[in-house]
Amino acid sequence: MEKDNASASNPLPPGLSDPEQWVELHGDYLFKYALMRLRDPAKAEDAVQETFLAALKGGKSFAGRSAEKSWLIGVLKNKIYDHYRKASRETSFTDLEFYSDEESDRFVPDGLLKDGWIHELGPTEWASPGASLDSELFWKTFRDCSDKLPKNVAAVFSLREVDGIESKEICALLHISESNLWVMLHRARMALRRCLDTNWFGKQA
Amino acid sequence: MNLLNPVKDALSTGRRLLMPSCREALRLQSEALEQPLPPTRRPGLWLHLLLCKWCRFYGQQIRFLRHAAHAHADELTQATPQKLSPEARERIRQKLRARPE
Repeated sequence: MEKDNASASNPLPPGLSDPEQWVELHGDYLFKYALMRLRDPAKAEDAVQETFLAALKGGKSFAGRSAEKSWLIGVLKNKIYDHYRKASRETSFTDLEFYSDEESDRFVPDGLLKDGWIHELGPTEWASPGASLDSELFWKTFRDCSDKLPKNVAAVFSLREVDGIESKEICALLHISESNLWVMLHRARMALRRCLDTNWFGKQA
Repeated sequence: MNLLNPVKDALSTGRRLLMPSCREALRLQSEALEQPLPPTRRPGLWLHLLLCKWCRFYGQQIRFLRHAAHAHADELTQATPQKLSPEARERIRQKLRARPE
């Protein structure tokens, strides 16, 4: 059996469970963790695979199952981080062109009331927004609005608002500062709100 | 008429010290979703929101979007299963077996 060959030529440290079982024991939660952050099943699978391979090379000894689990998550986090770091070398993650204010046409440009809403253009109340959550068409509209966001800003919104990942972790993943993150979230929220206002809530009688 | 400009500027600056503009108020409300605002900023924002219904609506609406997105994540993420597919499992197992010594 393969296990015997492994112990003869390359003995695993005591306490490390059999690699044959890793996929069964750890595969699913590692995949789910990676999928939430990478948002792509193929990339998530690769990250899990690389994590297991690194575990084999590393060959740590563990006190128990939970130590094994947290070590694997630690390695996986690094793999995810590497992925984002590589991606950010190709395109800037701060999407500077998106920093043009989405709503700049709706504020008073100068004078005493500078930067206030132009009277007729301010947000109006949404009637019973909760009721929209049951509508398929509402969610299609939401998805269409999200698709209009620049990819990196959409990713930040998803990580933070859909998956609920902590700001600090997002910053570490994407190699951006907290203030960068907040500006991107502000822009995303502003654009989504406006898009839904125009295409859904504003159209209700 | 030009004499009024410094007065207008001073009023504008003075107001700004006490209370954010609408533009600022939107940014502050978004930031407040991430971490508590600095205490010095809170009274001004509170006053602004008391007086400005548009900014109030804005704040309600971005909070609604947060709640909606989080509570209905399934509507917004692709309908992919949250577990490794059988093909992926087997592929990874093979890779682990074939590892270089």
